Amino acid sequence: MFAAAPLDHACCSGCSLCRLVCPMWRQHRDPRFSPEGLAKARQCGATAAELTAPLEACSLCGACDPVCPEGIDLYAMVMELRRDLSPALPYRQALDALQAKFALAAAAAEAPAAGAQFLPGPALRAHPVLLARVKALLGYACAADDGADIALALETGGEISPARRRRFLDRLSGRTLAVGDGLLLRQLRQWLPGARLQSLGEALASLTTIRRRLASTDFYVIEPRAYHADYERLVAYYDRLQVETGCALNLDLQRIAIPALRQALPRLAAPLADADATQARWMLQGRRPQRIVVESLADRAAFERVCDIPVLHLAELAQD
Amino acid sequence: MNIPPVEPGTVGPCPVAPDALQGIKRQQTNPARWNGAGWQDFVAALRSAGVELTEGRAACGAYVTDAGGTAYGQPHGVVIAHSAGEVAALLRTAQAHRVPVTVRGGGLTTEGEAVAYGGVLLDMTGMSRVLAIDAAALTVRVEAGIYWHSLAEELRREKLDYLSAPLNLTSSVGGTLGVGGIDVNSARLGCSADQALSLQVVTPTGEIVECSDTENAELFQRVILGYGQFGVITEATLRIRRYTPLSMHYYYYSSLATAIEDLQMLDRNDASDYSGILTIMDCAVNLLVAFDSDEREAAFRRDWEARLRGHGEFGFALCMLGHYALRPWKAGEALYLLKRKQAVFPEFRRPEYMRDGKMHDRSVVFSRAVWKHWGSRNMVIPDLATPADRFVAAVERGNAVCRKFFPHYTLYCVGIKLRPEHRPHYEMSCVPPDAEGWAYGCEFEPMIEGEVYSRDHFQAFKNAIYDIGVDLGASYYRFGGMMKGYIRRVFGDALVDRHLAMKRKADPAMILNRDVIF
Ligand SMILES: Cc1cc2nc3c(=O)[nH]c(=O)nc-3n(C[C@H](O)[C@H](O)[C@H](O)COP(=O)(O)OP(=O)(O)OC[C@H]3O[C@@H](n4cnc5c(N)ncnc54)[C@H](O)[C@@H]3O)c2cc1C
Ligand code: SF4
Ligand code: SF4
Repeated sequence: MFAAAPLDHACCSGCSLCRLVCPMWRQHRDPRFSPEGLAKARQCGATAAELTAPLEACSLCGACDPVCPEGIDLYAMVMELRRDLSPALPYRQALDALQAKFALAAAAAEAPAAGAQFLPGPALRAHPVLLARVKALLGYACAADDGADIALALETGGEISPARRRRFLDRLSGRTLAVGDGLLLRQLRQWLPGARLQSLGEALASLTTIRRRLASTDFYVIEPRAYHADYERLVAYYDRLQVETGCALNLDLQRIAIPALRQALPRLAAPLADADATQARWMLQGRRPQRIVVESLADRAAFERVCDIPVLHLAELAQD
Repeated sequence: MNIPPVEPGTVGPCPVAPDALQGIKRQQTNPARWNGAGWQDFVAALRSAGVELTEGRAACGAYVTDAGGTAYGQPHGVVIAHSAGEVAALLRTAQAHRVPVTVRGGGLTTEGEAVAYGGVLLDMTGMSRVLAIDAAALTVRVEAGIYWHSLAEELRREKLDYLSAPLNLTSSVGGTLGVGGIDVNSARLGCSADQALSLQVVTPTGEIVECSDTENAELFQRVILGYGQFGVITEATLRIRRYTPLSMHYYYYSSLATAIEDLQMLDRNDASDYSGILTIMDCAVNLLVAFDSDEREAAFRRDWEARLRGHGEFGFALCMLGHYALRPWKAGEALYLLKRKQAVFPEFRRPEYMRDGKMHDRSVVFSRAVWKHWGSRNMVIPDLATPADRFVAAVERGNAVCRKFFPHYTLYCVGIKLRPEHRPHYEMSCVPPDAEGWAYGCEFEPMIEGEVYSRDHFQAFKNAIYDIGVDLGASYYRFGGMMKGYIRRVFGDALVDRHLAMKRKADPAMILNRDVIF
């Protein structure tokens, strides 16, 4: 028997449910800047080059996937189009240079000790104090090779050599892993079906020492990429978290995680701009939290721009 | 067939005028594509007026069809609405160049009304912001391209909610006010169009006019439930309410007529806040009743529940067991019912939407279930809207048609409370002309389930349903687009000609939403 092929753009019925959750549609209010727009344009034979603007604008938050009633793998559609587009990107060289830098650091990494691993990603690595705190809280070893180059390649449609991929995966297979990067986590689920995988957010929020410090006056910001990649399970997980702690979550009425950032591809490494802050402002509209708790450091920066209440990383909730 | 000659430059007799369909093989009446005359001059004039128009497959591809998926057409170009001023400039230029403009909100029509067969497609979703919420007066002012769901998202932050809207998340406010908008609380609150207090409208000749029942009332009355014939709705002020979760009750029937009688009894007595019937064919008929408050629920339990002839889930399961045990040849049907129940029921009980036995965000729960379990690339949903006393007959006859055409189907019935002061809004609309108090609507929806049916099969099915409407003197929720041939048959020439004369006066070049009604 053949396995059923994943559904692709040809199955799009144009119901527009994906628009409702798509941050780039919210910003542009133009159907071309939506998963539906991409799928419909593909139905009409549009090429990746013709779709450059929306492909660059997509933040790969993954919100569109769980809401599509046709079950189209929209994330895969965008990733494939980005891979097609990638070689022609005018800033490809800069991305390649960054990827090479990460790869170099990974090449120098020693083989990890046995046991559970924690893959922080470059943002957390840049904050050694917080990194040490996360490590201590989880009790996992911090992987010297956390696949930062692979995560960047996934995001930008860059190439991942089979040898590099093999080396990375060989060191991880069969382990318990907490992964800081949502895109990498999604990919690892496919690559390492035997591994026990959690997002950093879920791993930390499951610790009693952290959970009991969440308050009903908190606004808790789930990292969307990891959440949407494992939606059915995590929707129940965060629902319980909400019931237990009373905190507000960045979920919309469809229980989709609203991303605080909608950073487009060309601005990946750039500082936050006003457009990014609009999204965080919208998330806070009508809410009056006393504190914001984020799973992702990138989100912390977005909220710090738009409000003057404390914005804490989840790990910072635990007492020293 | 004798086709009368048509003078060049004149409009020929309607090929689907009264009795024109009799004896003729049933076909659909997909409009002809506009020939593009003067398009380049129009585009140049539009651009010099500062309106952005996009052409090409990436821009036009999103609009090839509507939710129905049986009518196909492409515009020559697309304008995404950004402001009333821009819409006005577009319509003035289009009027001067005689270029058709098709307005689209959510595009959830099923007869191609929101499909452009050439000309300009005006996408209203570009205008989709909440402009002002007045929590004290319980009103909201919105741009008309906003999806009801996006409106709900913003209102919920203030612990508010809209009154009633279609159960699909992606219909727009403007598109809905033009066609009706029926929710499971419409038997109490009326249709969505009844919630509009005032509108900003751009007329087909490009004037921007604020209208309501007291200001420019004639325009308001034509635009509400007017299928976009008399203007583009750019803003709307709507009544809203405080948000409440619901407590839901389900009663199961094996007879359509009994369930409808009970539904109408509840509606007449204002016994519930929400009511409707959803079926699995005519075998499992589910009467849904829900409440916004514990007081209303307690009053229902005390005064009305015992009068309902439906069963609870367990009791009904026993009845079904007995029924199919005596009819083993219907085992396939029983299996289908069981499978359908197992697939659909959990959707209405997802824990993340339930708190303390109450359902939160019911529009999300219902709408997601609708798209997941009833949606498909071909949404074939003919309907009938009748006065209360003819509703049982309409549903039973429609049900027989469904049985003839498809192995599996669903019926969805709701009441719509009519407001006497809104009678002028209802003229030539989905509200049947002689309905008093309530109108009742039933959608007949085949389950496509991956099967491939020809468009002719779908069309023959729809015609068979629509013919019942002509026979019973009913109306239709969807009477535009490819089924416009029915309009004269149900409303009569005098009324249609009066509206046509008004349309010609308001829209001299007949550019706005051509081929939807006229
Ligand atoms: C899966 C599904 C479920 C549905 N469920 C329901 C339901 O529960 N209740 C219900 O009432 N209906 C239901 N419908 C029908 C649908 O919701 C209505 O047709 C819808 O409200 C139309 O809104 P829209 O924004 O999609 O309008 P469109 O389809 O975009 O347009 C409708 C008509 O209005 C015109 N128009 C659009 N916007 C404007 C504007 N701003 N100004 C002037 N004219 C305009 C268009 O040209 C077209 O003729 C359902 C449809 C589907 C496919
Ligand atoms: S991944 Fe996010 S930004 Fe990209 S198309 Fe989907 S919802 Fe939109
Ligand atoms: S949700 Fe899926 S089917 Fe609906 S418009 Fe988006 S891609 Fe198409």
